[in-house]
Amino acid sequence: MNKKLAIILVLLLSLSTFLAACSGGNSDKTSGSKAGEEKPYEITWYTIGTPQKDVDKVMEEVSKYTKEKINATVKMRQIDWGDYDQKMQVMIASGESFDIAYTAGGNYVLNAQKGAFKDLNELLDTHGKELKATIDPAYLEGAKIDGKLYGIPSNKEVGQQSVYVFNKDIVDKYNMDISSVNSLEDLKPLLQTVKENEPDFTPIATFKPYLPFDYVLEDELPFAFPLEGDKGKVVNIFESDIMMETLKTMHEFYKAGYIKADAATSTDPWPLEVQNWFVRKEMYQPYAELIWSRSAGYNVAVQPMHDPITFNNSVTGSIQAISATSKHPEKAMAFLNLLNTDPYLRNLIDRGIEGVHYEEVDNGKIKDLPARVESYNMPSYSLGNHFILKLYENDPEDKWDAFKKFNDASVQAPTLGFYFDTNPVRTEIAAIANVANEYAPPLLTGSVDPEEYLPKANKKFKEAGLDKVLAEIQKQYDEWKKNN
Amino acid sequence: MNRIKSFFQDVYKNRVWLLMVLPGTIWLLLFSYLPMFGTVIAFKNFRYDPNGFFASILNSEWVAFENFKFLFNTNDAWIITRNTVLYNLVFIVVGLILAVFVAIVLSELANKRLSKIYQTGMLFPHFLSWVVVSYFVFTFLSVDRGLLNNILLWFGVEDPISWYNEAKYWPVIIVLTSMWKGVGYGSIVYLAAIVGIDKNYYEAAMIDGANKWQQIRNITIPMITPLIVILTILNVGRIFSADFGLFFQVPRDSGPLYSVTNVIDTYVYRGITTMGDISMSTAAGLYQSIVGFALVMLTNYLVQKVDKEYALF
Amino acid sequence: MWQITMITNQNSSQPTPLNKGNAQNQVNQPNKKSKRKKKYTPHGLNGFPNLLMNILLGSFSIMCIFPFLYVIVISLTDEKTLARNGYQLLPEIWSFEAYRYLWQMKDQLLQSYTITIVVTVLGTLVSVIMISLYAYAISRKQFKYRGFFTFIAFFTMLFSGGLIPFYIVATQFLHLRNSIWALILPLAMNAFYILIMRTFFQRSVPESILESARIDGASELRIFVKIVAPLSLPGLATIALFSTLGYWNDWFNALLFIDEPHLVPLQSMLMKIENNIEFLRQNSLAGGIQNDLLSAIPQDAAKMAMVVISTLPIAIAYPFFQKYFVSGLTIGGVKE
Repeated sequence: MNKKLAIILVLLLSLSTFLAACSGGNSDKTSGSKAGEEKPYEITWYTIGTPQKDVDKVMEEVSKYTKEKINATVKMRQIDWGDYDQKMQVMIASGESFDIAYTAGGNYVLNAQKGAFKDLNELLDTHGKELKATIDPAYLEGAKIDGKLYGIPSNKEVGQQSVYVFNKDIVDKYNMDISSVNSLEDLKPLLQTVKENEPDFTPIATFKPYLPFDYVLEDELPFAFPLEGDKGKVVNIFESDIMMETLKTMHEFYKAGYIKADAATSTDPWPLEVQNWFVRKEMYQPYAELIWSRSAGYNVAVQPMHDPITFNNSVTGSIQAISATSKHPEKAMAFLNLLNTDPYLRNLIDRGIEGVHYEEVDNGKIKDLPARVESYNMPSYSLGNHFILKLYENDPEDKWDAFKKFNDASVQAPTLGFYFDTNPVRTEIAAIANVANEYAPPLLTGSVDPEEYLPKANKKFKEAGLDKVLAEIQKQYDEWKKNN
Repeated sequence: MNRIKSFFQDVYKNRVWLLMVLPGTIWLLLFSYLPMFGTVIAFKNFRYDPNGFFASILNSEWVAFENFKFLFNTNDAWIITRNTVLYNLVFIVVGLILAVFVAIVLSELANKRLSKIYQTGMLFPHFLSWVVVSYFVFTFLSVDRGLLNNILLWFGVEDPISWYNEAKYWPVIIVLTSMWKGVGYGSIVYLAAIVGIDKNYYEAAMIDGANKWQQIRNITIPMITPLIVILTILNVGRIFSADFGLFFQVPRDSGPLYSVTNVIDTYVYRGITTMGDISMSTAAGLYQSIVGFALVMLTNYLVQKVDKEYALF
Repeated sequence: MWQITMITNQNSSQPTPLNKGNAQNQVNQPNKKSKRKKKYTPHGLNGFPNLLMNILLGSFSIMCIFPFLYVIVISLTDEKTLARNGYQLLPEIWSFEAYRYLWQMKDQLLQSYTITIVVTVLGTLVSVIMISLYAYAISRKQFKYRGFFTFIAFFTMLFSGGLIPFYIVATQFLHLRNSIWALILPLAMNAFYILIMRTFFQRSVPESILESARIDGASELRIFVKIVAPLSLPGLATIALFSTLGYWNDWFNALLFIDEPHLVPLQSMLMKIENNIEFLRQNSLAGGIQNDLLSAIPQDAAKMAMVVISTLPIAIAYPFFQKYFVSGLTIGGVKE
């Protein structure tokens, strides 16, 4: 009986390995054979956003153009916002063949470090000359990991600036002076007024306070370089004085009822069009207040918390990477080159087909037709260069100039271009991420008393191996600093 | 030679049965066994290779048990293991008692129509996904909008309870939610077994003057014991795995509750999402499987010792 | 015979004279059923215990349904009233706004309904056939390799191969991407159900009946369809019911394998909203980007309405299923 079992097992195993071998062979074969020169190559492009009905229709138009220019057609696959990361991770890990994918921030870095993306240093010189000339050099330098560029950043606002956004109706009603708000503390009298007089409004639309740190990984993980003081030394943000002070203020706000009681766990996205908030925190780009006011249906006012800063996270905020599994990376690069430099193509992909999705009004500006809102509502930021996009009729004339000014004014963060390799300490980071998940949301929303919880959190961080991670970061940073 | 020949003879003799298991076996092979080769990445530091998954596996570096370390290297790791095992034990014991109790009562109720209605009602929660259940729970526990705080207010409790911040209530809430969702399902399985019991036993028992309780004790329970044992063995195998939705979505991933809601599955999820490290998640899965497997074998062995017929194999 | 050994075992462990005598009797005359007298009602509590149990189970059943009714009420509450008064059992102001919001998505919703229903029906059918065939074979003593096949099924309950290889099998070997089979096949087998079914077959299909059929020259497959299946209807019904549930609630396979909006099932739509909210929570996006996303996320009442419409069909349908399938299972059908 046992022998027979063994035989069956062997048979099954051999069958399965046979299958595995088959498929392995297949993928090798296909990746080996070059696509015929005459036949246009189909570029598969994954991008983020709720799938739109007219994508195929627009891509047909795009393909007509690209076939002529670079002998390639384009197939765009959109994956919904919340599904994107998980799905891309599975696809990349499984070695699926595709050409271009949108990626950003931490995912860009991790995937690049693990070898998912193609090194573009050379391709950029051979197939992307115009592109190289167009994009803000801060981007190309900042997005390099160990000297290698793994994706093309979208040319847009290069810096990050957190701003307080106020409900202008209320500001006007009580004659508030928001220009004097320079810190969290300064908000107090305004919040008090709202709390006392406007029962239907929550003074603060849940936000985490701004803290002057340059985060190494994510903003809830404890390691960061300070933006003030000793900028070259990595610290545990939860041990800093500024954290304690800020959280005390937040907790005071929480106790006073300025912040919603369930802030730490709430998933309420605070949609702008619902007028139930007084102040919120957003990321700014030039003229964002116009966009916000438009989608809110009432006016908002903006007060910056700090000057724009160029972080790793802001340069890698939107990147098109070429997959290591791409069968024709040159074509993919040529397409990205065209996408970022050719106004016709860029506008076609972003705004849709003229006459169907939008129409021209005076002086080169455009206006959406109903079809764009319904079936081709694309997120501009994830698709490439902003500076060659057509302006909407209610956009200010100098929009892109303002972007350029904003970018020039942006200050470099201490770690711009330094990408921490998490590999030596990944088990510690997994444990630390759990502690951060446990303590950061309640602390940062003011839901718990920092005097009690910060020491607890720090004790747990230490247990999880924080010191080892900090030391590793410092080591890598010092090394990087030496070479840069 | 002879052995091979007799093997093929056996196969031929069993051809009808083999034909019956064929579709299932192909499925198991494709969807379960073939992917199992992938578990080697639990012992590797997985890196991507342009030539696909198999090349990636081959070219990734062996790291032995490095990927398992994060499951053991902190105090939290101890807490998650404790939580996982304790909750599962409670689920197994309480779930079994309640399900068998409900199944027997359902089968004994005088009014069959009512019994059917109860069945329908109790099975309902099982048809809901955890996301939906988490909405349900939220409607009760929301600090400012929830039913419970409204009721408390009505009774004059001025200070609303911040349910999602108070760990002490959650062991009870978790168990209640799990039972609420699972008892109907469990009882249906047992009910189906009870219904399958030959009615002659009961008739004969009644002739002998046995009362209801004696019938239940001496006929119903012994007759469903094999099923109880099998289901319990199977549940023991999953004692190291927790229902992700119950521990993640229902408590709304609330930090202050971690001491009582963090289980192996949620810990792994939270640790891995930051870095997208599939080697580590595979390692965690393998760890759960191996412990579960060992426990099943042990339980099965013990059951076999007591009574061979009840054992799973 | 399995039943004999099982019963004698029970007797040896609980040797009440009463049980022993009857059981032995039974085993000796397994086909006595037809001669059974009708005046006995073996099941049925009387008087106070019955009342007590009715109250107990009745209130539990109500508890099971109540949250759903509550969510329906919330979904019918005016959004402003929700903000002011919270989730009330009887809201101050009723509103159909949430459903009006969903009505805008009616094309997508209808499409998703269709997908979900097709997948559920087809999937349940496929999985019941596969599971019951497999379980039947391993439940029979005549099948020489039953131990082996039991084990390979059981083993999969504990060890899973990991997501990535599974994904590769489905997309690269079977080419299931963007196909309705990607939603059906991965859930077709379930070792847990196989083992439950095996026990059912062992218990409710006495070998003696099969013997006589074999003597009459019926083939095993014929026996399975004509005798075994009807006899084990309660078991099949149970499995079918649970399969249905698995298919109805599945969203993960859709996440992995489905890109085309017209193939997205209902639960997956609900899950997408959840995931998008989570995405927003974790990513701070600059400028106007956020608003595109925000507009796709429904407010409280609408979210609850989403829950209602994704649950309502099965809530309405399953009692009928239950009645249809489970005629053998439910107590009403036990005896007249």
